[in-house]
Amino acid sequence: MRILLVEDDAEVGRFVRKGLQEAGHTVEHAQNGRDGLFMAASEGFDLLVLDRMLPGGVDGVRLVETLRTQGNHTPVLFLSALAGVDERVKGLKAGGDDYLVKPFAFAELLARVEALGRRPAVDAPATRLRVADLELDLLSRTVTRGGRKIDIQPREFRLLEHLMRHAGQVVTRTMLLEKVWDYHFDPQTNVIDVHVSRLRQKLDKGFDKPLIHTVRNAGYMIRGEA
Amino acid sequence: MPHSRLRRQHPGPVWRLFSSAGFRFAALFAAVFLLAALAFGSVLWWGTAGALERQTDAAIRADVHALTDRWRDGGAPSVAEAIEERLAVDAEGQTLYLLQDADGARQAGNLAELPRRDGNSAWHSVTLSHEDGPPGEGRLMVVELPDGGRLGVGREVGEKQQLRDLLTEGLAWATGAALVCAIIGAWLMRRALERRLAAASGTAAQIAGGDLSPRVPLSPHDDEFDRLGASMNTMLDRIAQLMDGVRGVSDAIAHDLRHPIARARNGLEEALLDEANDPAALRSAIERGITDLDNVSRVFQAVLRIAEVEHGARRAAFAPLDLALLLADAAELYGASAEAHGQVLETEWPESLPLVGDRDLLLQVLANLLDNAVKFSPPGAVIRVSAAQEEDAVLVRVADQGPGLSVPDRARVGERFFRADAARTTPGSGLGLSLVRAVVQMHGGALWFADAGGPPDHPGLAVLLRLPVSAGTEKPAA
Amino acid sequence: MDLLRRDVVLLLLLAMPASAQEVRVLPLGEAECVELSARLARNARAWRDPARGLAAEGRRLCRDGYFRAGVAKLRRAVRATQGGADTARP
Repeated sequence: MRILLVEDDAEVGRFVRKGLQEAGHTVEHAQNGRDGLFMAASEGFDLLVLDRMLPGGVDGVRLVETLRTQGNHTPVLFLSALAGVDERVKGLKAGGDDYLVKPFAFAELLARVEALGRRPAVDAPATRLRVADLELDLLSRTVTRGGRKIDIQPREFRLLEHLMRHAGQVVTRTMLLEKVWDYHFDPQTNVIDVHVSRLRQKLDKGFDKPLIHTVRNAGYMIRGEA
Repeated sequence: MPHSRLRRQHPGPVWRLFSSAGFRFAALFAAVFLLAALAFGSVLWWGTAGALERQTDAAIRADVHALTDRWRDGGAPSVAEAIEERLAVDAEGQTLYLLQDADGARQAGNLAELPRRDGNSAWHSVTLSHEDGPPGEGRLMVVELPDGGRLGVGREVGEKQQLRDLLTEGLAWATGAALVCAIIGAWLMRRALERRLAAASGTAAQIAGGDLSPRVPLSPHDDEFDRLGASMNTMLDRIAQLMDGVRGVSDAIAHDLRHPIARARNGLEEALLDEANDPAALRSAIERGITDLDNVSRVFQAVLRIAEVEHGARRAAFAPLDLALLLADAAELYGASAEAHGQVLETEWPESLPLVGDRDLLLQVLANLLDNAVKFSPPGAVIRVSAAQEEDAVLVRVADQGPGLSVPDRARVGERFFRADAARTTPGSGLGLSLVRAVVQMHGGALWFADAGGPPDHPGLAVLLRLPVSAGTEKPAA
Repeated sequence: MDLLRRDVVLLLLLAMPASAQEVRVLPLGEAECVELSARLARNARAWRDPARGLAAEGRRLCRDGYFRAGVAKLRRAVRATQGGADTARP
């Protein structure tokens, strides 16, 4: 993916850029909002990673608002030291697609970047998702593996659907909490892990090849080949 | 401060009088009083002068009738004679007559001319000019006689002028008296106000000086000033409480964050100094360091969130919601955890529990309570979550089968970083219930604890929340 | 209705007394003195007090040229001849 990173903190910028490049992306880095806006408007990017607060009169929110009024719909991920819920809402209202609070784990950032970058494919109408021999029917809301029907609860269905829509990508625990349960809160403990392992047991029972993999220090990934 | 500078530019006593609220109140009073006096005077004026006028008019009308009757009987000479007779007995010189023939020549009477015809009205109010005295005012009725002549009958009405002068004089005196009263009243009122406000402003000055402990002394009157003082005191209590809270947080942060920070630092330093330099050991040291730092930032996040909630900044996110759905979500999320711990989660609530609140924060509350319940209950325990609709509130109860909480500890739960001794060995920041308490307070609700009804050595803890349905005004914390 | 109009007229009169029409009152003079003296002379009761005293005083004032005061005295004398004692102020 071609990613524009607008971040005024040199150290954070270097760290994010290096990490994204190692993950195989092309990264352009702007140090202030004005340069960022110019680059975002004149070149085609697959994703913008913006600091919420930027020097130079154009902050992250202004930048996105300006782009959106120009009809530019490149996905935007905000990075911010402002953790307040109002700030988050402001960022998303302005046209941001996701919001990550500093300090963050790089794995979290990478997972969200890849999820955002692949969004157009998600929007394509699909009635059936398939990973290896696992099949999920969105219309009849049934799950089968190797032709055998698996009994699954509604929430587990949504969990699996989210994982399968991002098959081959890392999905973090907070992403699952936000997207599958639709809450923004600190669960204190590993509640998500419990749900995922329960789902995993149902899917893998009687099969020798696990589908849901735990990615160390990051989250989960559903993937066909080992 | 611009205010005090402005005041110093006008230090005169007159300025001080005019700028005082007491003076303005008194001036308002005086104005109202003056207005009332004016209205009263006017009514008096119209009443007395009007009555005189009516009397005069009646007399004139009777005279005119008598004279026109005479004209019908005896003609103009008879009327002229009657006029002469009437004038002959008018020692005060108040009567006015004039009889003119068809040519306008004077036949009898003491007027030189009659006023011009003025519309259809027979009545005229005229100014009388005397050759040997000041002009006076008169009322005059003029009638046309059948032979084309005119008859004017009138009275001089000097009393009205006198009455007017008297009333004017009286009103002037009243105005003066009201003004004097207003000024004296202003002075008295200002003094009274100043004296009553001295307590409050003195306290405020002491607090501005840095000492937060004084409170406004209250008089037994329980009047407006005492109510102002009482609300100032409530405000000061709240401020003091918040200040204590801030102080408590900084102490607690210093205490609770020092350990993970020190641990992370020591681990990294040790890995750096390690002679063997085994890459695997180095890697695990770094990972431990990152975990420690993540914990530090989690605690930070929680502290900031509590501060945010206590500031009420999140009230913007209030919206109508169904607590039953939130309870179901929370039970579903944590039911799996309970199951993993070998515990059973029992639930009971009505189909719908509508209230106004912040969805994410309320779920956070339920999550913290359920997390605690799961953490502190032994395997095999039953955790009960129930909710019921009360008249204008929803009562939520989360009961576990853990060690319970001693009564003195219950009072301290909710202080930041407080952890009962029994909880020292379990993981947690000690912030969970602080956040619960802050969120409940923000929703105008109440939080309290009870025994869950287990055996005496293991009573279990029941946490009870009462959330008002319409998220009323935030009650100040007691 | 009529009453109301009168009150309005009164109000206007009080509000602006200067705007009324001016009417001249004829001055009192010797003619009035003579006319009143003749009237008294025709009346038998004028020879009794207090009318007699008032009439005498009025005539004296008229003679001295104080017509206004003289006429007033004479008129009071006439009133005394008609209706018993005159208790009016001097």
